[in-house]
Amino acid sequence: MAIVKATKTPERPAPISETSILGWLQKNLFSSVFNSVLTLLTTYIIYLTISGVYVWGFVDATFVAETRRECYDNSLTGACWAGVIDWLDNIFYGRYPREELWRINFGGILLAFWMAPLWITRAKGKVLVGASVVAFYPFLAGYLFSGGDKGLFMQVMVSAAIVAFVINMANAIAGLLKQQSIAQFVISSLGQTNAADKSQRNLLIALVVVGFGVAYLWQSSWTVEFVSWTKWGGLFLTLVISGIGIASALPGGIILALGRRSKLPVLRVLSTGFIEIFRSVPLITVLFMATTMFPLFMPEGFVLNKLVQVIIAVVLFNACYMAETVRAGLQAIPKGQAEGAHTIGLGYWGTMGLIIMPQALKHMIPNIVGSFIGLLKDTTLVSIIGLFDILGMLRSISKDIPWLGLHKEPLIFGAILFFIICFAMSKYSRHLEVKLSAGDRH
Amino acid sequence: MKFHCNLALVAALAAIGASGATTVAAETTLEIVKARGHLRCQVGSPSPGFYNMDSKGDWYGLDVSVCQAVAAAIFGDKNAIEFQSVSSQARFTALANGDSDMLSRTATMTMSRETQLGIDFLPPVFYDGQGFMVRKDSGITTALDLKGASVCVKTGSTTELNLTDFSREHDLNLTPVTFEDYNVRDDTYQNGGCDAVSNDKSSLAGNSASFATPSDHIILPETISKEPLAPAVRQGDSQWHDLVQWSVYALINAEELGITQANVDDMRANSKDPNVLRMLGVEGNLHEGIGLNKDWAYNIIKAVGNYGEIYEKYIGGGEQGLGIDRDDTLNALWSNGGLMYSPPMR
Amino acid sequence: MTNGTKEIPTARVRPKEEFNFFQDQRVRSAFYQILTAGIVGWLVWYLISNTAHNLEVRGMNTGFNFITASAGFDTDFKLIDYQPGVGTYGDIFIIGALNTLLISFLSIIVSTILGFTIGVLRLSSNWLVSKVALAYVEIFRNVPLLIQIVFWYIGVFSLLPVVKKSLDLSFGAERVILNNRGLYFATPVPGDLFWMTLVALAVAVIGAIIYRRRARKLQDASGKQTNTLLPSLAAIIVLPLAVYFATGMPLEWDIPTLQGFNYAGGTSVPPSFLALLVALSIYHAAHIAESVRAGILSVNRGQSEAAMSIGLKPGRVMAMVVIPQAMPAIVPPLISNWMNTVKNSSLAIAIGYSDIVSLFMQTALNQAGYAVEMVGMTMAFYMFISLTISFFLNIYNKRVQLVER
Repeated sequence: MAIVKATKTPERPAPISETSILGWLQKNLFSSVFNSVLTLLTTYIIYLTISGVYVWGFVDATFVAETRRECYDNSLTGACWAGVIDWLDNIFYGRYPREELWRINFGGILLAFWMAPLWITRAKGKVLVGASVVAFYPFLAGYLFSGGDKGLFMQVMVSAAIVAFVINMANAIAGLLKQQSIAQFVISSLGQTNAADKSQRNLLIALVVVGFGVAYLWQSSWTVEFVSWTKWGGLFLTLVISGIGIASALPGGIILALGRRSKLPVLRVLSTGFIEIFRSVPLITVLFMATTMFPLFMPEGFVLNKLVQVIIAVVLFNACYMAETVRAGLQAIPKGQAEGAHTIGLGYWGTMGLIIMPQALKHMIPNIVGSFIGLLKDTTLVSIIGLFDILGMLRSISKDIPWLGLHKEPLIFGAILFFIICFAMSKYSRHLEVKLSAGDRH
Repeated sequence: MKFHCNLALVAALAAIGASGATTVAAETTLEIVKARGHLRCQVGSPSPGFYNMDSKGDWYGLDVSVCQAVAAAIFGDKNAIEFQSVSSQARFTALANGDSDMLSRTATMTMSRETQLGIDFLPPVFYDGQGFMVRKDSGITTALDLKGASVCVKTGSTTELNLTDFSREHDLNLTPVTFEDYNVRDDTYQNGGCDAVSNDKSSLAGNSASFATPSDHIILPETISKEPLAPAVRQGDSQWHDLVQWSVYALINAEELGITQANVDDMRANSKDPNVLRMLGVEGNLHEGIGLNKDWAYNIIKAVGNYGEIYEKYIGGGEQGLGIDRDDTLNALWSNGGLMYSPPMR
Repeated sequence: MTNGTKEIPTARVRPKEEFNFFQDQRVRSAFYQILTAGIVGWLVWYLISNTAHNLEVRGMNTGFNFITASAGFDTDFKLIDYQPGVGTYGDIFIIGALNTLLISFLSIIVSTILGFTIGVLRLSSNWLVSKVALAYVEIFRNVPLLIQIVFWYIGVFSLLPVVKKSLDLSFGAERVILNNRGLYFATPVPGDLFWMTLVALAVAVIGAIIYRRRARKLQDASGKQTNTLLPSLAAIIVLPLAVYFATGMPLEWDIPTLQGFNYAGGTSVPPSFLALLVALSIYHAAHIAESVRAGILSVNRGQSEAAMSIGLKPGRVMAMVVIPQAMPAIVPPLISNWMNTVKNSSLAIAIGYSDIVSLFMQTALNQAGYAVEMVGMTMAFYMFISLTISFFLNIYNKRVQLVER
């Protein structure tokens, strides 16, 4: 009977290795002689590196100067950050007219707001949000950045983009406040909840059409000044090229991947050949080809501007890489899914579009973010063919007479900037991976 | 039914593709430029003194001024330009295929380029020559002392070829250490990575200005090559060729005649020199041959000044200049013993 | 329909015998294929005819005659004999191609070794070491390679001493010399009897392999572990050395010596080569480390625990249980990394190492101007390399898949 202990066993303290700093140090850093040596050596190397960088980059550095000569006068051994600071506008925006910079900033803020609902758990219709960004944002941003006269097409697209943006924002607010989609909210607040589906739909369409009309009238009342693409540059240009690259590479990649998996031999051979050709050569050769050979491919008198040439090259190149990502995503989907879709009578496109692709895309999201990071880094290659992307700008500082020869500091600044951007994105993609794979277990 | 839709769609796409492929009828370059409203002038990745960018994102330099002169001649506005920065691989192709209207980017005029690449060079705007720079304490005073030395040189240019030729000619056994980037080349040289730097002398002088102690380095007297740096246009449009060529001559002619950016209005109103009056369009009809209006040369000088002023500003001792003397060099006016010479404008 | 009730669709039976031309699967697929082939064919023809027309109109050079034309420029790094003015553009192509292959090959070896090391260090029990390895991976993966290459290029120069204060990496023997002009090392010139040393080396290697096999068999049969590494190494080192000395040291050295400005003799590699090698190796090692780590983690923990419980030593556990099982997960990303190394070596153009892009597609193209042909030849070269590598990868994948079943 006395087996049951009436009193609680006093809690024993956690082992020393788990609580005290010393214990932790011993377990993780000095567990053996070899480990101790390793630790000390590593600490020493870290100390050397950090102290060297600190002295060069901060203690001896010059932050305010008019010319490089003044930096030299201040200190011969320290960094001259003044040149980088003087060129910050060029580094971020390129040669974009300084009084028009708000357009780029505004475009960025617009995009952030547009995509924000994707991260709001309570907002509805995330797929539509994503689709509307891809379908409409490029036109609005394109007009905002390049400006000039809107043609009829641009007028329509800009109006559509404005409507899409407003609906999207309203949808996000409705989701936040009422946990409803905007459509549900409108219907219920108009007291039409019990009306027939079709009349509900007609009502919504009418509202959108009215909204479009209003947007059309409003947008025709203003224009922004024309800015040639040759004035685009810096980080802005890098983001534009890689943004367009990734957005257009996805559909291209899907088409190529489907072609490669197709049962039709001609399609399969052509897609495979296309993918393999572009995947087997370096991006720099494709860029060279684009700038030296595209003009020769075109009929006489037909001139593509260089930015378009570069974007075509980047898109083709990335579509081929994306095709392999998509293919891997498709392979991860069990065959039963396709067979199941066939038995309920779906054709090829139905199966792909409704059953296979949505599942595969979910698997692919981390890889797509990974490709985007890769693309962002690869975009620096356009500086070799003479575009003033961020690297092109960083390397031009040293050619400006006041800053002649200043080239290490800009490069280091660029490296830090890229590290921050790419590291943040890769952390995020890893987070996504965990989150998405957690969803799989349900 | 669905199938028919697809078929129709495909057919429509094919039709669009075919119609998009129709060619544009050939026009003269001047017509194209005027219709576009601005000049497309090709420069390269920045090169100090000739074409570089300031922290406001504006281009400046000698070659940039040549572009601005042409724009001013056509539009009366030196800012009616789209500067294209093209990699050195694509520079001549981009000109030959009509992407650029003209090229003004320290390209050396050579026979093979002019005859084989579908382009025409215009009168040189800068006579350069390749030379060597060494550290003063090396004790080297002539290029012939360089036997066995390694020489830092920029890759993919005539500089590399000239160095090889010079080494072979004098049996110097020079080792070229090639660089894609001026800065890395200069850093290497300053850190002792090579015994000498070889490049166009203007560029050597310009770059040494950026060294920590410029006085530690000297430029050797030998000039091992002729580097006439000239703008170029596409072959086959002689009107356009004439226009750019005479815009360049107008810069030199203005200096010969003493017309400057400051006094051009005064000269046009009060000068009695028939040469001045003809050039500035007060008399005669020189403008008709190149399809411009009679103010064209006036606009050039008003916008960018004469050749001497441009030189002083960007190559000479001006605020944005490299600090290279013009006296007693090939770039002085012919009347001062140089090669800058404009045929008469009459 | 307007009142919201749904009509129940009646089953439609397709007439069995009727042949609908437009609905037939084969007709459809044939149609699509012919259409695609037609469009692609037309596009190719269209582009080619445009190009031909443009080249003719612009008076640009065409044809492959330049291959036998002499090239008037020199290069600082070449693996074959070449004289400027005598050598041809064909030679330039070969020099560039060999240089690309050499730098890629060396980078692949260094990055693979480094990558495996870092990947294992990432899993180290030493907190500091694993964090440093993590920092290494994150920093070098997230900065564009182009920036890294230029940076190393400057870095290598700033750090290395000038010629007169060259580092002697062979501890006073003056066989390997490093300064900011590059790396100089003595080149062996084999004498008459040197083949005997090579034979001895071969014998030692074969012997070591046989010994190892027998040790494995013994272990499989009896569970007894023998240390094969030390005896094998000893044999491989001692036997050839003994023969080498017995035959009277039949190996001359072409030693780099300081003559005038520079070291002459031996073999030298330019700094751009070293910088590119360092940058490519470090960048790709960071990527390889990640796939190695992922590969090792993908092996079930139970495997190594089980191996330990039957008394295998930790090193053996890694080598005989964990790594072999991790290989199928490591190899495909590893090989795609290798392919990327070959492709990324083209960034040599940024620092002027004479690889195929920089030498042939830039310098030669600038001089001769055969844009279409030269770009085409360069791309064909890369395609050949990549297709060769992926051919072997496919063979490997097939083998691994078969083993899995």
